[in-house]
Amino acid sequence: MNFARTFLIYFTIAFMMVLPVHAKDMVLKEPPKSLDQFYPPHSKQPKWTQQMHKLSNHFGGVFINLKEKDFENVDKHADKLVEEYKKTSEMVPEWEEYFDIKAAEAFAAAAKTHDMKKAGKASGGLGKTCGKCHAEQQVSVWTKYHWPSFHKIKVTDPSSEKEVEFDKFMKQISGSFKSMRVNFGEGQYGKAAKALRAFKSEYMELKSTCSKCHTTDDVKRFYVGGDAEKAFQGLAKELNAEKPNPGNFWKNVGLVGKTGCKNCHLTHRTYSMIKEVWEEK
Amino acid sequence: MNLSARMRNLLAAIAYFAVAGIAIAYFLINEKFEWIPESALELVREKDLLERPEAKRCADCHTAIYDSWKKSRHSISWTSKTYIEASENRSKEKCLACHIPESVKGEKPSPRMDRRDEGIYCVSCHFIDGKMNGPYDLVAPPHPTYRNPEYVRSNFCGSCHQKTFKEWQATKEEDTCQDCHMPRTRARLTQKMGLNLLHKKKWVGDHRFLHGEISEKDILMETSFQENFFNISLLNKTVPHGVPTADNGDPRLYLYIIFYNSEGEEVDRTKEILAPQQETALPFNKKVDFRYRLFDPVSRVNIELKYQPAWSKEKELVWEKTVQP
Ligand code: HEC
Ligand code: HEC
Ligand code: HEC
Ligand code: HEC
Ligand code: HEC
Ligand code: HEC
Ligand code: HEC
Ligand code: HEC
Repeated sequence: MNFARTFLIYFTIAFMMVLPVHAKDMVLKEPPKSLDQFYPPHSKQPKWTQQMHKLSNHFGGVFINLKEKDFENVDKHADKLVEEYKKTSEMVPEWEEYFDIKAAEAFAAAAKTHDMKKAGKASGGLGKTCGKCHAEQQVSVWTKYHWPSFHKIKVTDPSSEKEVEFDKFMKQISGSFKSMRVNFGEGQYGKAAKALRAFKSEYMELKSTCSKCHTTDDVKRFYVGGDAEKAFQGLAKELNAEKPNPGNFWKNVGLVGKTGCKNCHLTHRTYSMIKEVWEEK
Repeated sequence: MNLSARMRNLLAAIAYFAVAGIAIAYFLINEKFEWIPESALELVREKDLLERPEAKRCADCHTAIYDSWKKSRHSISWTSKTYIEASENRSKEKCLACHIPESVKGEKPSPRMDRRDEGIYCVSCHFIDGKMNGPYDLVAPPHPTYRNPEYVRSNFCGSCHQKTFKEWQATKEEDTCQDCHMPRTRARLTQKMGLNLLHKKKWVGDHRFLHGEISEKDILMETSFQENFFNISLLNKTVPHGVPTADNGDPRLYLYIIFYNSEGEEVDRTKEILAPQQETALPFNKKVDFRYRLFDPVSRVNIELKYQPAWSKEKELVWEKTVQP
């Protein structure tokens, strides 16, 4: 069975890579409203994704069984593929155009000749319909349905102990970060030390947000983990010293900014930006 | 013999047989249930109990346990306001497994499709392979049962309380989750008239899944002044997991430290947030040190410890102390 699985994976990957869009511009459009009904919370399960797995299993199933010369199952998968493909085409009216039922039927007919070459050739036409839609819609769908929204997450401001919006909190943390740096630059080490205290507690508060989207603690090794902890210790050491060493101070500022703020923005903010545009409408 | 005497005898005989019948039934059910033939049990089985009924159905007999469960956080794991908020109106798929489990078997469960408002209910925790699994070897006429030793082990709770379980395991303490959170009392498992008398009292675990209390005895504090610094150390002496502990919830302890000068004026204040999500919870039996720089002369420090559960925005005082240099 290992072969079959490996084959299926290769098949899926190959087929997703062979059929990209050719234009250099990528347009991200908000997915049609009618897709909502196939994703939580409107449906109990992500039905659209499940439908995709069916298509891909039957598509792959045809080739696996051709290889194994299990022709009975080749025919079964070919028929099922057409059936599910038709069903999929009716799910989201706005996307009807992406489907080519004739191409699906032509592929099924070719598969039923039990000739690998013919089937391979006929798969191109059908595969293209899958590829075109993926290229144009998949990222939008991931962003809308698989990315939770930072705009709905509240963070407890550790100083006032009130909940604030995530983006407001970001502005606040950015202010505390700046306040520490400016005070240090001016040689006001006492003030800088107090600003560090506020900044650090706000930064640690960010750790409480991870579990609102992630279910393992492993992710906390990044952005808010050991590297950040060490940088904060380094900052505290300088600010509590009789004569702080500016070189060490700025090195640690850079570490927080790079391995903390920047890297987290690179992984999380892109999606948040796209969602924001859609949510504003 | 006149009629009434005969009547009396007959009644006496019936009463005798009834008592003997109950006694035999009592004996069979409690002592020798393996003698009861499966075919006899088939006659009294209530088939719908094996079709994953709602918790209220179990309450027909297990009334007391139901009432307790109803008070537990488990019964509102899906309807809890704070959960709905955190899961973005329950759309985050990663969150379903432990909040609406199909069946608990010592590993992360799969989410179920039906009766979601029941949260973590009787069937989720007890119904495995067509039988009510539980801690006892017994006979329950209405439904098949199976003695499963997992029910008195922490591993069972660890199916979902995964992080807490790991913390507990690392302490090597013997008390299980159930020992502290489901303390046992001697009682009947069922309250249905008739049935309850046929079954002996047994140990029943508290299905309110008690939250646990903390006080001065549990969280110990030491302090010291040292030149320009004030040191505090806290020790979780009694609870064999982090205090607080959580999986995806965000319970917290707040430690408030206020510094006063000799005039009694506040000169500085600071706080610590002790929270599992921030990896700052107090580990079992291991001191945690905090160090504060004193910017001004200080003649008194006031320290307060407050607790806020995962499902609430309110804090309650655990203890308050004042120390002087
Ligand atoms: C009308 C648009 C459309 C068409 C046509 C389409 N797909 Fe998809 N497909 C999607 C979208 C949108 C996703 C992303 C779904 C998600 O991640 O929830 C996707 C995802 C997938 C995935 C990945 C699923 C996952 O778990 O990440 C596979 C495999 C797949 N499609 C197979 C196919 C095959 C095979 C065909 C053609 C026979 C096909 N699709 C046709 C829109 C389409
Ligand atoms: C609003 C939801 C959200 C919050 C809050 C969030 N993340 Fe993520 N993060 C995601 C999503 C979605 C992904 C994509 C992969 C996935 O779903 O795990 C991701 C991916 C990641 C990845 C890379 C892939 C992986 O899953 O390991 C890391 C590392 C990560 N996040 C760390 C963090 C840390 C650390 C925090 C807290 C400081 C955090 N995230 C807070 C939604 C979030
Ligand atoms: C959890 C990972 C994460 C970490 C760590 C993080 N950020 Fe952010 N930041 C985000 C996300 C996500 C957004 C977009 C929020 C939104 O769209 O509402 C953001 C937005 C911002 C914004 C723009 C806010 C606005 O709406 O104008 C600023 C400024 C900012 N972050 C500064 C920082 C600084 C400074 C740090 C480090 C001290 C930092 N962030 C650390 C995730 C993170
Ligand atoms: C591995 C099992 C598991 C998963 C998966 C899980 N939780 Fe939980 N959750 C728990 C347990 C156990 C508790 C009780 C202990 C605690 O407070 O963490 C809990 C408690 C909570 C609480 C506090 C109680 C309440 O009703 O307010 C919230 C909020 C919460 N979870 C949200 C989430 C969110 C959001 C997700 C998905 C990102 C999630 N959970 C996924 C096991 C889980
Ligand atoms: C008609 C009455 C009745 C109903 C309804 C009922 N039970 Fe029971 N159950 C019993 C009796 C009687 C016992 C045995 C009591 C005793 O021996 O003390 C029992 C025992 C149990 C045990 C202990 C098993 C063991 O081996 O330790 C569990 C668990 C249990 N029931 C679960 C349930 C669940 C879950 C439901 C609902 C789906 C349910 N019961 C509904 C009558 C009932
Ligand atoms: C199916 C997963 C699951 C299992 C198994 C489970 N729990 Fe829970 N437990 C949860 C979730 C989820 C919550 C949070 C419910 C809520 O508040 O929304 C919770 C809450 C609790 C709470 C209340 C925590 C608080 O913040 O007040 C206690 C105590 C508790 N569980 C103890 C136990 C014990 C003891 C066991 C084993 C006998 C156990 N649990 C088994 C998932 C589970
Ligand atoms: C979170 C999982 C969980 C839920 C939900 C739950 N139970 Fe239990 N139940 C247990 C555990 C664990 C034990 C073993 C407790 C012990 O004796 O140490 C138990 C024991 C029992 C017993 C045997 C008596 C005892 O306490 O040992 C019965 C009967 C029972 N449960 C019925 C029910 C009914 C009825 C419900 C719903 C109203 C229910 N349980 C909900 C976990 C659960
Ligand atoms: C020796 C008794 C004891 C044992 C054993 C124990 N706990 Fe606790 N637990 C407590 C006490 C006391 C509290 C209240 C203090 C606190 O908030 O942490 C508590 C709190 C909790 C809470 C509430 C969350 C919070 O605010 O901290 C959960 C959930 C919990 N325990 C789960 C478990 C699980 C799961 C196990 C087994 C792996 C377990 N406990 C073992 C005593 C115990």
